[in-house]
Amino acid sequence: MNRRAFLKATGAALGAVALSGLPVRAQGLEGEDLANLEKALKEALGKGFKDLTPSNLVKLTMPAIAESGANVPAEVEVNLPSAQVKAIHLFADKNPTPRLVSFMPMKAMPYYATRVRLAETTAIRAVVETADGKLLLASASTRVTVGGCG
Amino acid sequence: MAIRVIVRLTPAKPKAGEEFKLQAVAQHPNEPGTRRDAEGKLIPAKYINLVEVYFEGEKVAEARPGPSTSANPLYGFKLKAEKPGTFTVKLKDTDGDTGEGTAKLELA
Repeated sequence: MNRRAFLKATGAALGAVALSGLPVRAQGLEGEDLANLEKALKEALGKGFKDLTPSNLVKLTMPAIAESGANVPAEVEVNLPSAQVKAIHLFADKNPTPRLVSFMPMKAMPYYATRVRLAETTAIRAVVETADGKLLLASASTRVTVGGCG
Repeated sequence: MAIRVIVRLTPAKPKAGEEFKLQAVAQHPNEPGTRRDAEGKLIPAKYINLVEVYFEGEKVAEARPGPSTSANPLYGFKLKAEKPGTFTVKLKDTDGDTGEGTAKLELA
């Protein structure tokens, strides 16, 4: 096998591994703590984790790795008209206070950006309350080197 | 003590109907109440828990951040440019301190 054929073959194999690996990673996020999250969800929304529907209309952007947990950029955007979005909530599973923020778009677009503190490596959840009472969910995970809450 | 707030629009002069970002940066320690000082005493919580955006006196957006917001926080919003006017961002923290900043929207 010459070099070109070898690179092509390994490239294709790696691509296949990466693609097949994605759905598995989406289920078990790094730094999940559903018990802690459940409490915060009950407090903020009166609903549990099982009432949330994962949706690709919600786009949550978090860095994969944050050197300092004291200042982590978070961005969430919902692909729905603003009139249909009642509120956007952000949660971090492992934080002492998991609820990061609640945002009511009113006349603004359903988009919110902020900087948050993360205590440790954690899963982040964006929960969108729609006007018809549905709860949409997007998850991400950030690896934190130094925590920002202690 | 008043909280210092700087408000910025990007792009600075959007066209009518165009989306633009409104970003507000506040000067605030945003203590979550879980950190300790050099002597090991807990620093009491003091964080911004209400952010309101007004356009010409009308409320257009509201955010209620929790304690886990970074120091000197940034708040970013996206809006549609319709008519020129003034945006006011009002902040309030857990001690009742307030601050506000304004930015003028001019259409290109």
